[in-house]
Amino acid sequence: MKILVIIPAYNEAGNLPGLFEELKASEENFDVLVINDCSNDDTEKVCRKNNVKVISLPANLGIGGAVQTGYKYALRHGYDIAVQVDGDGQHDPRYIKLLVQKIKEGCDLCIGSRFIGNGGFRSSKARRMGIRYFSWLIEFLTGKHVTDPTSGFRACSRKAIRLFADDYPKDYPEPETIMTVLRNNLRICEVPVTMRPRANGNSSISCIKAIYYMIKVTLAIIITAISRKVVHGNE
Amino acid sequence: MAMNSPLRTYLIIASVLFFLFIVNMLRTRKLELKYALIWVMTSSSFVVMAVFPETLFFVARVLHIELPVNALFLCVIFLLLLIVFALTVAVSRQATRIKNLIQELGLLKEELKSGDK
Repeated sequence: MKILVIIPAYNEAGNLPGLFEELKASEENFDVLVINDCSNDDTEKVCRKNNVKVISLPANLGIGGAVQTGYKYALRHGYDIAVQVDGDGQHDPRYIKLLVQKIKEGCDLCIGSRFIGNGGFRSSKARRMGIRYFSWLIEFLTGKHVTDPTSGFRACSRKAIRLFADDYPKDYPEPETIMTVLRNNLRICEVPVTMRPRANGNSSISCIKAIYYMIKVTLAIIITAISRKVVHGNE
Repeated sequence: MAMNSPLRTYLIIASVLFFLFIVNMLRTRKLELKYALIWVMTSSSFVVMAVFPETLFFVARVLHIELPVNALFLCVIFLLLLIVFALTVAVSRQATRIKNLIQELGLLKEELKSGDK
């Protein structure tokens, strides 16, 4: 089984070396690909120094466009499983094994959830309310309960890779992609993970953007719910 | 509107100039025909309305609008909305195409580099 770890990174030169160390310590066998979303710091240099494959985008695309580049790469190079790990150090690579295991068992999208089990960094109270709202919205529309729809720590099967390489939201992609996956009758599951607060730098969602975020993602989820299903031929 | 007011003369001159300007942009390929079509129609209808204001009176009567000038505003606002919407559609399509190009370029760059090794 070929496994690819996709790390979207925008100005993460400070966080990447630590992440690379942790990835090397993992017992799972995988390739690592960093998508450098046109950073203005040494992100690319840091990757080259650590001998990690890096795709440097010539213009900034935002998280969605960067991650999708990774899925396109995974599709073209015949990877069976793709794992998405944030470049900011919030995701602990030790859980990759768990996520991958679920995909091997036949799941199509496995989400690392902060809200199963307990412990770890769980984000602010306001954000948790937002997360619970999306969780409710998705359950209302599909009947499936996802505890952590905003988690960017996730593993995908070949089927999901194909779906994402074809169509992936540009910004705030996570909740919307869960809807896409469920809409196309792929299987979703969650495993408990603990996350850490960011080591360096700031989160991408500021207070002012929160309202725009809620409205945009709500609309995106509803539109996805009434979109046509994607039809892929057999490989 | 008085049939020979100076305003009418200005309108005729301005609308004809605007029409010629659009045609010239097309001639020199600065404007793509696809997006220019609606402007050609808009500018030519300005010319028609300036030369024959009766057309506007007729439109107002048909739509049961009391003042012809309100019929004019209605038509212009409708046209502008149409143009703006067409532009939004064009921008959305361009955004997707540009995103795909950027991704493709990134993937190709990586392939080139790993081919060198």
